[in-house]
Amino acid sequence: MAEELVFTEQEAAFLRELVRNRVAFLIVGLASAALQGAPAVTQDVDLWFQNLSDPGIRKALDRVGAAYVPPIGGNPPMFAGGGVELFDIVLRMDGLDSFSREFSRAIEISLGRFKVKLLPLARIIASKKAANRSKDKLTIPMLENALLTLDAMKGPRPPRRKRS
Amino acid sequence: MGLGDLLIRAGVSRTAYYSLVRKSSILPKSVEALSAALEVPSVRLLEESDRLRRVRKILHMVDRIVAEHPGASREDVLHTLLLLDQKPIERLRRGLLRGRRTRLH
Repeated sequence: MAEELVFTEQEAAFLRELVRNRVAFLIVGLASAALQGAPAVTQDVDLWFQNLSDPGIRKALDRVGAAYVPPIGGNPPMFAGGGVELFDIVLRMDGLDSFSREFSRAIEISLGRFKVKLLPLARIIASKKAANRSKDKLTIPMLENALLTLDAMKGPRPPRRKRS
Repeated sequence: MGLGDLLIRAGVSRTAYYSLVRKSSILPKSVEALSAALEVPSVRLLEESDRLRRVRKILHMVDRIVAEHPGASREDVLHTLLLLDQKPIERLRRGLLRGRRTRLH
């Protein structure tokens, strides 16, 4: 299966279980940008959850033998064990609307045997601009070039019909 | 679907069909000559030309997009178009692979 070429068995099982348990989450950041076609380089896959207390997350973690580690000191929460360290937990996205609103505008793509939702490229750029971290600033031009390429591929939009 | 049905549907006569079947190759003689000179199967030449046609189309798209957006990076646009030719999971695979390589160095 295609997803096995990218994810380990545990990583794919974890994502699949999240989807199966109807956990509301979005793939955000550069992994999302890469999935949409941007030539982005990333080391992890950022997941933005609507509710970290969702029992479906616990079920998915149990399925792969991983655990949720709550924030300790200055360290953000994370997943540990079970080979799911590839996934980073995102608690807050700068410059965006509420999770629900962003979720309603998300792009859905197939990862082989399951589908996941992505934060659209334009919204990734908005969040990186708002975060304004030096590592984000470096990626913004590349993301903007990818966005204008995606827009060019869509072609001009048909004129809207006037309401009579 | 039987052969008779297929020929009727395709609008090809039995004479034309059996004429094709009897030929050792249906490719133009020039293609056969080129493949013989290059010592590659003639089918490879056709596959190659499909790939080249696709790349040429992408390069024309790069020119068009860069002309419309003079500030855009030609390299980013080209790589995006090449990635759009791939499945999303393959796009992510490449991004993660490069990310892991970067971490190793």
